[in-house]
Amino acid sequence: MSSKNIYDKRFTLIKKAIACELVERVPVIYMGTAFSPRFTGLSIAEFCSDPEKAVQSQLETLKKIGGFDGCQTIGRPPLASLSAIWLSRVKIPGKDLPADSLWQVEEDEILTESDYRLIIEKGWKHFFQEYLPRVIDIQEYREAVDWSANNGPRIRRLYQEHGYVVLCDTDLNATIPFESLCGGRSFQKFIIDLFRMPDLVQEAMDIIMEESLEVISRTSPASSELIGCSWIGGWRSASALLSPKIWNRFVWPYIVRYVNALVDKGYTPVLHWDQDWTRDLERLKELPPKKVVLNPDGMTDVRKFREIVGDNMALLGDVPSSIFAAGTPEDIYGYVHDLVRDVGTTGLLLCPGCDAPINTRPENMQAFADSARDYGKVS
Amino acid sequence: MTKISQMMIDLDEASLLKQLRSELEKGEDPLDILEQCREGMKQVGSLFEEGEYYISELMMAGELFKEVSAVILPHLANTAAESSRGQVVIGTVQDDLHHIGKDIVVTILRGANYEVNDLGVDVPAHRFAETVVKTGARVVGLSCLLTVAFDRMKETVSALRELPFPVKVMIGGGPVTENICNYVGADALGRDAQAAVNICNRWLSDRESENI
Repeated sequence: MSSKNIYDKRFTLIKKAIACELVERVPVIYMGTAFSPRFTGLSIAEFCSDPEKAVQSQLETLKKIGGFDGCQTIGRPPLASLSAIWLSRVKIPGKDLPADSLWQVEEDEILTESDYRLIIEKGWKHFFQEYLPRVIDIQEYREAVDWSANNGPRIRRLYQEHGYVVLCDTDLNATIPFESLCGGRSFQKFIIDLFRMPDLVQEAMDIIMEESLEVISRTSPASSELIGCSWIGGWRSASALLSPKIWNRFVWPYIVRYVNALVDKGYTPVLHWDQDWTRDLERLKELPPKKVVLNPDGMTDVRKFREIVGDNMALLGDVPSSIFAAGTPEDIYGYVHDLVRDVGTTGLLLCPGCDAPINTRPENMQAFADSARDYGKVS
Repeated sequence: MTKISQMMIDLDEASLLKQLRSELEKGEDPLDILEQCREGMKQVGSLFEEGEYYISELMMAGELFKEVSAVILPHLANTAAESSRGQVVIGTVQDDLHHIGKDIVVTILRGANYEVNDLGVDVPAHRFAETVVKTGARVVGLSCLLTVAFDRMKETVSALRELPFPVKVMIGGGPVTENICNYVGADALGRDAQAAVNICNRWLSDRESENI
C-alpha cells in the first residue's frame, strides 16, 4: 500500500474515532515531545534550537517504534507558545539549563495586580504585545511564529508523505484566560486575587476572551483536508484545585465559549486537561456532541467520563507519564488493556496522557504502541 | 467556635483582621488569639478533607494565616518557636525548578504550627541531609513535577537513609504515585497539602513510638 493510501486510511480512521463512529480498530496516537530527541540521540538544546531537526527526530521515532497512526503535534518543542500561553519565562536547555536537560517553565510572578487594569484599559492585544518582552526575547518569539506560519503546511505534508496524520494541524491552540493570567501572576497570587478582587480579574478575563473569540471568528473555516484539532489547555484550572464557586465563574463559562467558537468554524477542540477534572465531568454534556475530544493525563476518572458522556465525546489518552518513566512494559500492557476494556473502542484514540516524558523507557513506548495495536482491535 | 476561628473558616479577611486588631488592643492574650486562628485553620483542613473546600480555599486560608501571624507574632516575642509542633525540611529536588505545589504545602504546614525549613527548588540531596543534621528535623518533604526528578528523589532518600538517625520522608507532586513512592523508597505519599499535615501529625505526635 502506498504512503498516500496508508495516510488516507489512517486519516479516515482518526476522523471516525473523533466523531465516535464505529471503527475497525482504535487509532494509536503519538505524543512524546521530549522523548523523541532523547530516543534518537539528539541533544535537547539542539532539539530546542533547530525545528527541522526536531521534526526529523519525531518522524524517526515514529518509524523506529512503529504502530502509530498519527501524532498530536509536529514535534517541535512549544517553547515560544508556552511563554505566550502562560505569560511566563521558559528556561531553555543550552542557554539557561544544561544542554541535555528538559526545558522548564518558571513559576514566578511577572504579571502584577496593576496589569489587570492595564488589560482592561488597553485591550488584550495591545497589552500582550507590551507584556511579551517580559517573558521572552521578542526576536526569538517572532522567529518561532514565523517559522510555524512559513513551514507548518510543508511539515504536515512531510508527515503525510510518511503516512502519519497530525491531529493538531491548526494554529489556534490556546487556553482560557484563567490559565494565562494564572501563569503570569503565579498560582498562589492568582488564587488570592480571585478572593480579593474577583470582579477586576473577571473584567480582565472577559476582555481577553472577547478578543480571542474575535481572532477565531476571523479565522478561515477548517478545511476538510485537515483533522482540525485545536487544544484548549487546562492545567491549573482543574476541578481538583478549585472550589465549584470559583470554577463555575472563572473557568467553565470560558471553556464553553471557546469550544463553541471553534466548533462553529469546523475545528475540533481538544480539551487537553492535566490534573483531575472528575468532579465536573457532567458539565461536558453541555458541549456539542461528537465534536470535542477529551485529552486527560491519567488523573481524571475516564471510566466515569465514559459513563457520563457515553459515545458523545471521544477520549484521547491517557497512559500516565509516571508509568512511561518508571513502569514496566507489563504495566503499560495492563493499563492499555484495562482502558480499552472499560471505556470501549468507540470514541477512543489511544495516546500517552499529557506527553510521554523525556525519561520514558524506550521499551515502554514500544509496549504502548504494541499493546494499543493488540488491544485496540475491534472484533 | 470563637469569632476569630469562624472568620478564619469563612475566609473573611476584612472581618478577621479587624477583629484581631480589636482584641489585641483590648489586651487579649496574643497566644490565645493565635490558637483561635490555628483552630480555624484546622477546621479549614477538615472541610478540605470532607470535600467542602478545595486547594483554592486552603491557599486563601494559608494567606490569612500568614497575615494574622505577621500581626500577632511581634506581640509574642520568642514564644512561637517553642510552641511549634515540630520541624520539617522541605524542598523541590535537584533538576526540578517547580515550586507551586511545594509552596502550598509549606504554607499549610506553617498554618498547622510546624516549623518549616523551605530549601526552595533544585535542591541537591546533600543539602537536604545537611539541613536535617543542622536543624534536628526528623521529617523531610520532597517535591517534584518532572518525571526526570524521580531518580533525584531516590538519591535524596538514599542520602537521608545514610544519616546516623532515622528520618521520615514524605513525597508529593503532580506525577507522583504510590508506585513512585515505593520506587524512591519514601515513607509516605502526600496527595495534597492537607495530607502532608496529616502525615506530619501522625509521625511527629507518635515520634517516640515510631522512633524518629
